[in-house]
Amino acid sequence: MRIHSRRRLSLGSPVAPLAMILLISSGAIAQAPPKSPSVAAPRRDLSGVWGMQPARETSADDKQSPGGAIPPLTAWAKARYDLEKPGYGKRAAPGGNDPILQCDPMGFPRILYFPTPFEFAQLSNRVLQMFERDNVVRQIWTDGRKLPDDPDPLWYGYSTGKWVDDTTFVVESTGYDDRTWLGAAGFPHSETMRLEERYQRVDRDTINFTLRIDDPEAYTKPWIALPRVFKLRPRAEIRQGYCVFSEENAFTKRIREPGALSSGAAPKK
Amino acid sequence: MKKLVSPLPLLALVLSAGALFAHHGNSAYDETARVPIKGTVTEFVWKNPHSQIYLDVKDRSGKVVNWGIETNSPGILTRAGWTRRALKAGDEVTITLCPAKNGQPVAYIGSGDPGTKVVFADGRELNFVDKTVDKTGP
Repeated sequence: MRIHSRRRLSLGSPVAPLAMILLISSGAIAQAPPKSPSVAAPRRDLSGVWGMQPARETSADDKQSPGGAIPPLTAWAKARYDLEKPGYGKRAAPGGNDPILQCDPMGFPRILYFPTPFEFAQLSNRVLQMFERDNVVRQIWTDGRKLPDDPDPLWYGYSTGKWVDDTTFVVESTGYDDRTWLGAAGFPHSETMRLEERYQRVDRDTINFTLRIDDPEAYTKPWIALPRVFKLRPRAEIRQGYCVFSEENAFTKRIREPGALSSGAAPKK
Repeated sequence: MKKLVSPLPLLALVLSAGALFAHHGNSAYDETARVPIKGTVTEFVWKNPHSQIYLDVKDRSGKVVNWGIETNSPGILTRAGWTRRALKAGDEVTITLCPAKNGQPVAYIGSGDPGTKVVFADGRELNFVDKTVDKTGP
């Protein structure tokens, strides 16, 4: 499936100027025009530190989330969604019950959308995806094994990957603990969610990324995430970004709780 | 007949598209505002996932109020050129911030909100522009 294809616009169409402005403005914000010709991608290699480029998000719910057209929720998922009180997106309110406010694991794919870079490292039998948040290392097995039929639910799931051509690495995964949210806007998922990620390294500095979420227990149709671009960040290093509950709790008492008081509440002493 | 189209509506569109990307979604703060506040640093907390700056600020009546200002993680700040010694108690600074919507003396500065920054009395500036992004490439 080609997600990137754009419909041709007739120049005589009344929407053409608007569409062009949006395309130009999104491009200008996503990246500066290249000053030198791009260098070819190495063969079957994703190694390096990568940062997600800002995208033209179409909804407030796209922020720190897979984004795109969110499919209808099942009754099970709707009941969960109604209990979730996110700090981001259309339902955002101060306070809330986002699990990460207690330093619970972000889970995957949410951590991918957190605004810090990640690093790929390739071993003989797996690719490691290393995130700054909580110093998470996700193992993507490349030794030909199959996904387990009845996996234990894990915060970061169980993942296998393969090269489908010299520049495209496809990851399939399942076995995700359903306490994590799909993004900061609070969309739920079930333990039987399956993901398909495609990392296509189109040149040395660029990965085009797509994600498909199949979770019939939670969504009535597959969820196709907003396509994203990762740029190589050779001068960036992944730091130890542990969320520590005692420290987060101190922050909550000193800043988050005063910020979440309703207007007109007694001022902080 | 050809008619020149005013660039202003186009500019407005481009700017509003930019504002969408800049939106951070942190609902406690007014992220459309950029308010400069001058004060004296009382504490700089260099911690994950939220570093914090505490600042004594004199209000109009001369009363000192201690503000708590949330900012990014040490990882993000390091890539923007900060260190754990970037601020210390006693520093006189002007911080351009997004204040809390509820009027409490808490605020946000960080990479999600361009234009937020810390400026010292001598003009030195701490901001959130990632210095590790390769400027020679795309």
